[in-house]
Amino acid sequence: MLTFLLRRLPSLAGVLLASSVIAFALPRLAPGDPAVTIAGPDAPPEAVAAVRDALGLDQSLPSQYLNWLGGVLTGDLGASFTTGRPVAELLADRAASTVELAVVAALLMSLLGIGLGVLGGNRRSPAVRAAVDGVSSALLAAPPFLTGLLLVLALGIAFPVLPAGGEVSLLDDPVIGIQYLIMPAVALALPQAAAIGRLVQTEMRRNRGEEFVDLATAKGLSPAQVTRRHVLRTSLGTGAVAIGLRLGELLAGAIVVEAVFARNGLGTLAVTSMASRDYLVVQVLVLLAVAVAAVIQILTELVLAWLDPRVRLGAS
Amino acid sequence: MTALTTDRPRSRYLAALRTPRGLTGTALVGILCLAALFAPVLAPQGYDAQGSGSLQPGAWPALFGTDELGRDILARALYGLRTDLALVGLAVPVSAVVGTLLGLAGFLHRGLGTFLQRCLDVVLGFPSLILGISIALVLGAGWWALFVAIVVYGLPAFGRLARAGLLTQAQREYVHAAQVMGVPRTTIMVRHILPHALDPVIVQVAVGMVGGIFLESSLSIVGLGIQPPEPSLGALLNTGMRYMTTQHLYVLGPALLLLLLAWGLTLISDALNEAVHR
Repeated sequence: MLTFLLRRLPSLAGVLLASSVIAFALPRLAPGDPAVTIAGPDAPPEAVAAVRDALGLDQSLPSQYLNWLGGVLTGDLGASFTTGRPVAELLADRAASTVELAVVAALLMSLLGIGLGVLGGNRRSPAVRAAVDGVSSALLAAPPFLTGLLLVLALGIAFPVLPAGGEVSLLDDPVIGIQYLIMPAVALALPQAAAIGRLVQTEMRRNRGEEFVDLATAKGLSPAQVTRRHVLRTSLGTGAVAIGLRLGELLAGAIVVEAVFARNGLGTLAVTSMASRDYLVVQVLVLLAVAVAAVIQILTELVLAWLDPRVRLGAS
Repeated sequence: MTALTTDRPRSRYLAALRTPRGLTGTALVGILCLAALFAPVLAPQGYDAQGSGSLQPGAWPALFGTDELGRDILARALYGLRTDLALVGLAVPVSAVVGTLLGLAGFLHRGLGTFLQRCLDVVLGFPSLILGISIALVLGAGWWALFVAIVVYGLPAFGRLARAGLLTQAQREYVHAAQVMGVPRTTIMVRHILPHALDPVIVQVAVGMVGGIFLESSLSIVGLGIQPPEPSLGALLNTGMRYMTTQHLYVLGPALLLLLLAWGLTLISDALNEAVHR
């Protein structure tokens, strides 16, 4: 397992390095002088010079990049230009909200996804299968923000049973907090769950045609045992991969869902700092998003290797 | 799959669109395209004409009511649909062609292929909206940023599918047969390999259009896409959210169009996918 992990590290480092270059280049690719953009169009020359100095824009590009990267690696992310607060502090303030949303949504997504897949992959009831097919294709056509908006209209405004927006931390007050979390988490989880369900379902149907399933049936196992021990277990690898792939999209979806539900998370921070051209914040957020997605992918591969000996042994 | 059941690709696609699923999808997308195309006829006042009252309930001909400035929401939604369709209609084919060319380059030259694959992996590492935000940061929020974002977002899938398709088809017996018969390399490539290798790419065009529409609406909803007063379905939802408590149709109307469009395209891609994998 360790060798497997070690083999994956170079490509992880490569992707991270490339995206750090991209994140660093973003404000410098934008038209105009970043210092003027940050200081504002009517800023006096001294203010522009101060910004230029603070950003180190008068140095050569490679040394600017190395300075920035060094700062990121040692935890010194600089200060936001609009608020003057350290970027690390800004991120820490907002992270809890996004983590709560993402964790609850990811749990929902995995449970619903595997559940839908198992229901749809079960050949005993064609009616259930048709229903699952219909539900999942409808869910696939509705991205998180649409599901979110429709949920707000239905449960927040037409039949006000849940708060339409805002948030209360789960740590402060779990009972109220979960009420604020239900709608955004469900909105975020449903489309991804449908995508996972589809993959698991296809995989289960395919595995059912395999010879080891015939063998298990011939040995006299009950249909439920065959499904559980042989069909489901072999299909879970696909499920794990699908969940890993979807987690990245789930995080991206969180940006819009936070906007729809007026939550103050990292997504909202990304949007506001982007709109005010607060480059240091945007750069770090872009890098963070890519890093999280990359780490999730590696973890997915580890789980897959653990579930499927072919992957594990092929790697070592 | 034997050679006998393999029709020419084009007729297979047409047959796929004639299945119940394909027909429903085609009808939905067709009607929406017509509505967008004839938006100037259906709503002759244009998307920016201010009427008598703001936030009025739905009534003929302003079925979705009016917005905060007294503009007809249905008219704005139709013009918004036009923006969205033009955007994905132009960006996704461009993405498909560029992606396929990258895949082709990777197929023809192994070293180049590995290098391109690494580049596409980096693009793939960016969650869709982060990619969109990054591009909007460089180009400035608006139509062009969305166009570029949709093109770049689609490249990894198109490139990978094209290369994989080419590699699979090149191993097939009919290609070896053509080689043995002395058919020139370019002819084999153009006449035999490409038409079959591009099947998954064609399916991906429909999938990519759904993704493109979602990317547009997501970015516009957070205010980093189409800027007011230009309408797009996402931009309408962005302002509509603020008046959701009083004017339900401000959100429901554009949301409905978005859902129908995405559903229609999904049905088409499913139908094509089934035909290709038959």
